[in-house]
Amino acid sequence: MAYRLWTTDSSCVTLALERTRAPARRSSFIVIEAKNLSKQYDRGVYALRDLSLSVGKGEFVFLTGPSGAGKSTFLRLLLVKERASEGQVLVNGHNLSELRRSEVQEYRRGVGFVFQDFKLIPTRTIFENVAFVSEVLGVAPTQQRRRAAQVLKWVGLQHRMNAYPRELSGGEQQRIAIARALMNDPPLVIADEPTGNLDPDLSLEIMNLLREVNAGGTTVLVATHDRELIRLVGRRSVTLDHGRIVEMS
Amino acid sequence: MRALDYALRHGWSAMRRSKVSTLCAVLAIALATSVLGLVLLVTFNADQVLIRWRTSAEFSVYLRDDATSEQRGVVESVLDQSGAVGNVEFVSKDQALVRFRREFADLASLASELDGNPFPASLEVRLLQVADTDGSGEVLLRRIATLPGVADVRYDRAWLARVGQAIETVRRLGFGLALLLAAAAAVTVASVVRLGMHARREEIEIMELVGASAGYVRGPFVAEGLLQGGLGALVALGAVLLAHRIGAVIWGSEVSALFDGLPLRFLPVSLCAALVLGGMAVGGLGGFIASRRIA
Repeated sequence: MAYRLWTTDSSCVTLALERTRAPARRSSFIVIEAKNLSKQYDRGVYALRDLSLSVGKGEFVFLTGPSGAGKSTFLRLLLVKERASEGQVLVNGHNLSELRRSEVQEYRRGVGFVFQDFKLIPTRTIFENVAFVSEVLGVAPTQQRRRAAQVLKWVGLQHRMNAYPRELSGGEQQRIAIARALMNDPPLVIADEPTGNLDPDLSLEIMNLLREVNAGGTTVLVATHDRELIRLVGRRSVTLDHGRIVEMS
Repeated sequence: MRALDYALRHGWSAMRRSKVSTLCAVLAIALATSVLGLVLLVTFNADQVLIRWRTSAEFSVYLRDDATSEQRGVVESVLDQSGAVGNVEFVSKDQALVRFRREFADLASLASELDGNPFPASLEVRLLQVADTDGSGEVLLRRIATLPGVADVRYDRAWLARVGQAIETVRRLGFGLALLLAAAAAVTVASVVRLGMHARREEIEIMELVGASAGYVRGPFVAEGLLQGGLGALVALGAVLLAHRIGAVIWGSEVSALFDGLPLRFLPVSLCAALVLGGMAVGGLGGFIASRRIA
């Protein structure tokens, strides 16, 4: 499987994506399916309430809403950092409420993640930050290097591979975080406020990058409160408020 | 193998990054291992002496002052015919006095003040090793004690058993103390590793989120503890070796006299290896405890 993608500096590269996961457990069309999902914290506060949502394969969906709407809670459930109180959520055919610890590890290998604060390791070079993902999954060093070079080239930062995160701008750091998310060639990429720390121009640049990821067939779910950005990118959006879906457009 | 290589590389890097806290953990393990090493050094040497004494177990047959040469002949004859005796040496009253004056020079004047020679003549019997172990020595002892002209029979075996018990007590006390110190060292290592985990919490979070196995996530922390433990044990071995050398220089002749001519020996390679492995186990346990909540 090969995707033709455009980098931000307009140089065209072909990225050979190696599908490492068996597709047998994946639903044909639905990647994320939440059914009557609720998340209740102590003192009876609901962060999510009776949420039902489907995201199809290859879709690009924005999850939006004000602070405290439940966007990050939903993403934490998708990353299995928390478990739902009621209802269920299926991702790539996995019922996340029933995953055992070893199954969580396997599930997470099929999900790329991007965070607002980049979460790059400051003591490692850019190359090491990206290759690290393959390293901890036990991939052979030659494959690690090849794949890391590919994704760094794709985000247009191969020339900074020996730099440390502190030497990069916010936009560059987020591009590295996206490169890292693509290391395992996941069928789903989840981004939590990926432009929250960036100015409007850089935000659009990052969104274009995620759009290119999506153009290669990867399902992308982005949580953001930036309505202007959603308008500019022009994709499906789901608005949450007080843990409930209040609008779909 | 990749997981092991990864764990060791990153465990070593973590140690180099936090030198001061690593030093604390290494010293804590070194202290525990030094105590154990010193106890082992003392008991190992004491065991060597005890083994030597046991293999040459002897008993002394004290003769009455009025014992006749015929009575002494009967005793010697019984000893010869028993088949349990390797060697018999007669020590006269005069020879016993000379020996006392030589071996206890400080008390020599005391003997001069007494009227006459208080020391009895005796037969010093060296048993064959088999007689010491199969019980025939004790049978012989009981028979000799009943012969005419014999005042008393002193068998070293009971005394050796008491010395053996004393060594065992010292060993157990030392092991107990070392165990307590090892527990404290494991807690120190766990605290140091936990500090490192706090500094690397984002790295751990990323590892968990990309689906790294528990071995990859926890491995570096267990390896860090193992390496700290190994280093601490090596430092301890160096300290015990230094103590051995100093002890040999300062008290060498006294120890040699006390230990029946044997020199003070250092721990054998197998015990040194066991100490290093023990240190690594304590450190690894600390790392394991610290990282058990992740992955």
